[in-house]
Amino acid sequence: MKRTTFYILAGIVGLLEVGAFWLSVELHGPLLIILAFIAGITLLYLARRKIHDLKEDERAVLINEKAAVRTFQVFWVVFFAISLGDVVLGLGAPGFPRQPRPPNEGLVPLGHIGIVQLLLLFLMIILYVGFRFYYARQYGEWETDEE
Amino acid sequence: MHDLTQEALANELGVTRQTILAIEKGKYDPSLDLAFKIARYFGVTIEDVFSP
Repeated sequence: MKRTTFYILAGIVGLLEVGAFWLSVELHGPLLIILAFIAGITLLYLARRKIHDLKEDERAVLINEKAAVRTFQVFWVVFFAISLGDVVLGLGAPGFPRQPRPPNEGLVPLGHIGIVQLLLLFLMIILYVGFRFYYARQYGEWETDEE
Repeated sequence: MHDLTQEALANELGVTRQTILAIEKGKYDPSLDLAFKIARYFGVTIEDVFSP
């Protein structure tokens, strides 16, 4: 499989995931998007291994490792800080410990947690891409011959 | 040996052309394994290829 074919496949899988998400919301069935997402990522992982014009040598591995470690180092600080903020909000809220919620409001806080989690994951992706560019530049990814 | 391209050397050593270029430019220090491969390819010692 060529790299461009993989990118097209990734685009199609992305669109299907959006469709699955929409359907999941419509049907109120979270299991659908969970399974669709795991299946999509598995498919892309297997497809990536079939790419024959993708060469990953020791320099690429080093760049990925460095970017991943730096992302983790920044991410855990941000995650910890936000978690501490949440704890303070919880502890300082009037009427703490909270009264039990009415049964019909049960899923609303869970949805809010999901949005915060997605934002944190998005931050993680942004951090990784940023660090990936930084280290790729440091290790001569875009160097050109002078002659 | 003079008409050896970076692409050909990279293919021979199992790395990308960009890695050869980065080594030449001093942007990347290769692993011992790759350094030995390069030295062996040119039939010289590591000290002949790399200097601190």
